[in-house]
Amino acid sequence: MNAAAPDTVALAFAGPTPFRLLVRIAAISSWRRLLALREQSWFLLAVIGTFLAGYLALAFMLFYAGLRFISKFPGLGGLLVERLLFVLFAFLFGLLLISNLVISYTNLFKNRETTFLLSLPVPTQTIFQWKFVESTLLASWAFVFLIAPLLCAYGLVNHVAWHFYPLVLVLLALFIVLPGVCGAWASVTLARFLDRKAFQIVLVTGLAAFIGLMLFQFRPQPVTDEDLDARVLAVIDRLLENTRFANFPFLPSYWMSASVQNWSEGALGAASFFALVMLSHALFFGQLVCQRLGDAFYEAANRVSSRGSIFARWGWFRAQSARKPGLPGGELSLPRGDWLDRLLGFGGVLAPDTRALVAKDMRMFWRDTTQWAQTAMLFGLLGVYIINLRHFTRQLDSPFWLSLVSFLNMGACALNLATLTTRFVFPQFSLEGRRVWLVGLAPIGLVRVVWLKFWLASVATLAVTLGLVLLSCTMLGLDAVHTVFFGGSVTVMTFTLNAIAVGLGALYPNFKETNPNKIVSGFGGTFCLVLSFVYILTAVVLLAVSSPWGWKPDMTGEFAPAKAVSTWVIFVLLSYLAGWLPLRLGLRKVATTEL
Amino acid sequence: MIELHQLVKHFGDVRAVDGISLTVPRGEFFCVLGPNAAGKTTTIKMLVGLIKPTRGTARVAGYDVQGQPLEARSRLSYVPDFPFLYDKLTPWEFIRFTGQLFRMTDADIRRGADELVPRFSLQEWLHKPIEGLSHGTRQRVAITAALLHSPEVFVIDEPMVGLDPHHARIVKDVLKERALRGMTVFMSTHQIYVADEMADRVGIFHRGRIVAVGTPEELRRRAGTDGALEKAFLAITEEEVKADSANGTAP
Repeated sequence: MNAAAPDTVALAFAGPTPFRLLVRIAAISSWRRLLALREQSWFLLAVIGTFLAGYLALAFMLFYAGLRFISKFPGLGGLLVERLLFVLFAFLFGLLLISNLVISYTNLFKNRETTFLLSLPVPTQTIFQWKFVESTLLASWAFVFLIAPLLCAYGLVNHVAWHFYPLVLVLLALFIVLPGVCGAWASVTLARFLDRKAFQIVLVTGLAAFIGLMLFQFRPQPVTDEDLDARVLAVIDRLLENTRFANFPFLPSYWMSASVQNWSEGALGAASFFALVMLSHALFFGQLVCQRLGDAFYEAANRVSSRGSIFARWGWFRAQSARKPGLPGGELSLPRGDWLDRLLGFGGVLAPDTRALVAKDMRMFWRDTTQWAQTAMLFGLLGVYIINLRHFTRQLDSPFWLSLVSFLNMGACALNLATLTTRFVFPQFSLEGRRVWLVGLAPIGLVRVVWLKFWLASVATLAVTLGLVLLSCTMLGLDAVHTVFFGGSVTVMTFTLNAIAVGLGALYPNFKETNPNKIVSGFGGTFCLVLSFVYILTAVVLLAVSSPWGWKPDMTGEFAPAKAVSTWVIFVLLSYLAGWLPLRLGLRKVATTEL
Repeated sequence: MIELHQLVKHFGDVRAVDGISLTVPRGEFFCVLGPNAAGKTTTIKMLVGLIKPTRGTARVAGYDVQGQPLEARSRLSYVPDFPFLYDKLTPWEFIRFTGQLFRMTDADIRRGADELVPRFSLQEWLHKPIEGLSHGTRQRVAITAALLHSPEVFVIDEPMVGLDPHHARIVKDVLKERALRGMTVFMSTHQIYVADEMADRVGIFHRGRIVAVGTPEELRRRAGTDGALEKAFLAITEEEVKADSANGTAP
């Protein structure tokens, strides 16, 4: 059967449209992924399920207690809760924008399904529509999951009617459309004009600017005791000044917050108005993108796969490239090594094969900007917060608060590290992928490769975590004993978290997948995150409750060596067990892996 | 059936395809040979509409691939060297999905599958997840899905990768039969014996240009060799390398 002219066929064909077919295929694939969970261990599934439920419950309790506490501020509670809501949605909007931009770019221009569909008689507009919907959902579902406990807590604190909850779901569905539209449009535009390297530079610059803006926008304002006693309203007003941007009425987050707030207060007319503003914008811009961006997407996809580096347009870059060794005069000349080789070879401490593997891992990590840009942002923001602590030393003069903030800082640092180890260290072994035979058959052996990955990741991340915790201790003005205690604790936690990630990464490898995001989103990655979080929670609570400075409002700061040592021994044993077991199991599996 | 007119493609400063003109008539089995980076895959990508030519046009069944993309793509099928398949689907679901994208009715899809599935020995695998299939079986699934709508033009890149000799024979037989029934085949391969056995005409690509085109016999005559087509291919490409060196255009 030779196909007739498509327009003729289209008129006669009553089957599903290509878009519906694509949705159907995605639904079947997702459903089967879900069913595949049955093949996993029920114990591990129960652990993950309990963790997720635990997160929802704990987050809900914290938000509920926090909102109740704030709402009881005499005369100001309502105002503070309202501003918190607006700020939250403004930040959520910003994060959704970044997330949509990154995911849309990958999904539209670095995706094998897209290439496959482009060779079929499917209109580019339809391909774009499908990828737009897919990217928006991928970029947004986790945010909805994260924010659900907060909105539940907000509803309960405000004693809202039952219809508030389903309405919030509808509002969230509308809210995610606009960042999705902006992300898709921005990714198509950037892809048209920037190559991959330039895109990464723009992304990292944007993130750095974002951190800089945060540093500027949320710089602490000195408040005197006199101000606090006599001019509370003025102080609150100054504090709120920094967050006034969230009340800009043309921000979609403003419409969302205003609708949620008005509905919770029973002002259904005003809430409906803002909901309709959001609906009209979502429909208009959603329709605009779905109907008009198809050609632009095809043009951008063509440029992405057609151009050389845009840096090659610059004479200086071309001159630098020309200096790289090639085949001058037909004679092969290879470089003797760059600064990294010289650094790793310094003193001859590392064996040549070890050096080669470490250098390879470091180069691959460094050259993939997306591998470290998100991490840099997370730790950057944590750094900004810790640096700002120096402004609060007047308020943090009580040993109780100093101790509490120190432990929370260590916990936050460890949680950040857990996301880092799960996202980047866990998939390292899987990413060897089809190349695993190369290192597996080399004299170095797979077991040593896994050990090397563990040591490299541990030493590299220790520089960041230890640095941040020591900075925290310095900013809080802690003494040497405290500093050694927190520094030692975070060092142990860093090694443990890396052992968990490396061990589980070797235990649950996925050699078929080349995308680290997909490797992490599998069962092993989720288990790694859960285990890391459970370990951090247990470790921080153990250290805080039984440490010589823990939870005593009247403490004098006196050092109690016996208590400290016993706590530490328990903590070290727990850490050893939590890290050793997965690493041991992973190594055992690797030792028997058939290439 | 396939008309390439002065096709040029630049990747930045690199000229990957340099003014290729070629006509492949209906029912011809055309093989493309060439060393790495000769422009074979780039030409195929322009032919199937995956990338735009910098200059020139590609037409399939009379339709401009860029100007009338849907008309052109509905008449061709493309199987790359590592075809994309949905891992969580079964081969039958994938074949049916592809047929539906080509606007085939369920009855036509079943009819086409009844012919092709046994030919490619896929019955055993038809309802098992694709993620568990070997590379060769995946390749057969992709070729079955691509042939289902009886395309007028079939473009395939390295079809024998991962296929055992038995199934490689079947693929060659099916493609030859289809060509005899009027399907134009445009195949890129590094396996010169396959081109020698199958092709009505062979085009040799070198540095983005077609440096020789003709039947295997014509190419042998031109190179002054006999026996395997490989000798002719090596002689012609060697000749081009020398000419490039003499002209100072070698990379």
